[in-house]
Amino acid sequence: MAGVELRNLRKDWDTATAVDDVSIKIENGEFLAILGPSGCGKSTTLFMLAGVYLPTSGDIMFDGARVNDVEARLRNVGIVFQSYALYPNMSVLQNILFPTRFQKTDDAQARAHEMAELVQITDLLGRRPSELSGGQQQRVALARALIKRPNLLLLDEPLSNLDATLRLSMRAEIRRITRELGVTTILVTHDQLEATTMADRVMCMNKGRIEQVGTAADLYLRPDTLFVAGFIGSPPINLIPPDRDVLSLPDNCHTLGLRPEALRVSEVGMPATVLSVEPMGREAMMTVDTPLGDLRFIEATAQPKYRPRDLLRLTFDNADTILFDAKGQRIPEAHAILKETAYA
Amino acid sequence: MAQIDWDQLAAQSRRHRVIKTAALIVFLTFVSVPVILPFFWVVVISFSARTGGVESAILWRACAVLVPAVLAYGVAHLTLPRIAHRLLAGAGILALTALGLWLSVGAELHLNNYRFLINANLIEDIRGAGTVGGQFPWVWTAFGNSLLVALCSTVMKVTVATLAGYYISRFQFRGRNGFLQGLLIIEVFHPWMLTIPIFLVIYWVGLLNTLAGPILVLTAIGLPFFIFIMKGFFDAVPWDIEMSAMADGATRRQAFYMVVLPQVRPGLIAVGVLGFITGWEEYVFVTALRTGNSYWVMSTYLYYVAEDVMGVDYGLVAAVSVFYMIPSLVLYLACQRYLTQMTLGGIKG
Repeated sequence: MAGVELRNLRKDWDTATAVDDVSIKIENGEFLAILGPSGCGKSTTLFMLAGVYLPTSGDIMFDGARVNDVEARLRNVGIVFQSYALYPNMSVLQNILFPTRFQKTDDAQARAHEMAELVQITDLLGRRPSELSGGQQQRVALARALIKRPNLLLLDEPLSNLDATLRLSMRAEIRRITRELGVTTILVTHDQLEATTMADRVMCMNKGRIEQVGTAADLYLRPDTLFVAGFIGSPPINLIPPDRDVLSLPDNCHTLGLRPEALRVSEVGMPATVLSVEPMGREAMMTVDTPLGDLRFIEATAQPKYRPRDLLRLTFDNADTILFDAKGQRIPEAHAILKETAYA
Repeated sequence: MAQIDWDQLAAQSRRHRVIKTAALIVFLTFVSVPVILPFFWVVVISFSARTGGVESAILWRACAVLVPAVLAYGVAHLTLPRIAHRLLAGAGILALTALGLWLSVGAELHLNNYRFLINANLIEDIRGAGTVGGQFPWVWTAFGNSLLVALCSTVMKVTVATLAGYYISRFQFRGRNGFLQGLLIIEVFHPWMLTIPIFLVIYWVGLLNTLAGPILVLTAIGLPFFIFIMKGFFDAVPWDIEMSAMADGATRRQAFYMVVLPQVRPGLIAVGVLGFITGWEEYVFVTALRTGNSYWVMSTYLYYVAEDVMGVDYGLVAAVSVFYMIPSLVLYLACQRYLTQMTLGGIKG
């Protein structure tokens, strides 16, 4: 087990910069998720941690020691790949035992069975990977990554090849296993739900740079940047150029962010015309035309009360508005206030 | 709406299916006759011909038994749906065929043409010691040399093609694309066009009249194609597996041997079989790279049996041909399914 630190990490490819000045400190035993759209540099960061890629500059520290030049095989890092990368020519047991072939392990067999028990695949040990379902392969990959008691567990989109139900149970399962072992874990994902449900902290990346590091609540309630605000939350946040005729705002405000679920129906509020209604099961998402512009609005009901062209009045708490300046940075401690003119 | 007679439609579909299958079998039978007949003829000649002359009557008599047998099995296969019944019918037809062959041509068969296998001085016995300077070898010498040429060139081809294919598949290096295109361009020119330069090179190097000459030349000629094939197989092995092995503690070399190589086993076998067969049947370069009778391989042995020394003892020529065919045939049959995979190597994931 180890604490990990990245200092000004950078990776240039021939034509582009994949990772740009990434610095973060990860505590021993912490579960960090790296979240971002594809091509944001999150997998590159992961592979640099694993030692598969060499950083162009910057330092990778394990427990305060620089490991940039340590080969992948000597870093004692376990990886679970998106494709699971099981060795097709070996049985499940041989797969799990594979890492022990390179370090002296006296109780390899016992440990393999312990791992198999941990991930609940004891009855599959004799099978070939091709005879397993996706979820079972996932568990084998996890057991193989954990058998050498790694300093660091790296998960690269581990759930994206599973169907929705299995994903839900594996999310909890992976969380349970990493907690039980207390292993420092870094999860790379493009799925915000995966990141926010599993991780202690989430590091949101875009175009090779860190946008924000924080808990799920930080990212949702206090997004540092326009990108984070837009990326976190489903359905996505309303980002609108503010109209100063109906809103009173600080001068430097360039974009107004308002979550669909921050809006609510009220007797006193701005007039809104329903444009469309999309039932989503537990709730319905509506698009409404308001003095602020077209807004997404969540109606918390399975049986929508409104139909297109209905008129209603909407309001929101001033504290729920998030303001961004021209550079896309959040303006801290500032909120928008609806003016009287909006109620007309 | 008119009533549809489903039973009648079903009967019609069944009839069509039977007719289609029958037509297919008849067509395939006719197409395969010109392919199979010469081989069959050679086998028949080798077991039946006596000093020189060839009795085609024996072939036709054998065919008169075999053709009805094949047709009978075709009918049995069509009419009997159950596998046990088919096997039973097949066994019965086989027994009848054996009996028919025994009765029709059995008396004509003998092993005398195969005496070259045990008689080291066959040619000298027939033509006197003066033939070919008294150097005409025992067939097992030629067999051993052929085996040596085929095996050595195969081992070298497979080794080099595997390592080169892996490197080209996995690494970016200056001139990689040029190298790949070069491999294809080389395939455009037939190696026989290079016979004279190759002869000169081998002469200057001092390998003329040694088996090392044809072994090296065959390896060099076969490599471009084999490298290309192996590259295709390695391309199909995902990167993840290799990275995973290295994160698990393997060195790159260990990852290659323990994880990547087992995945391209079909490719190794396919390339190995092809390499062996081309080495086994090589004639042009083994002939070109010797100036006398410094070494004999099976192809030159067969050639001299057919043309130079023996005149027209077709029985002996046929027997040597059959003997020459057997290793390739066995190898091919054993590894057939890997050879068909070869074309898939580049495509499948």
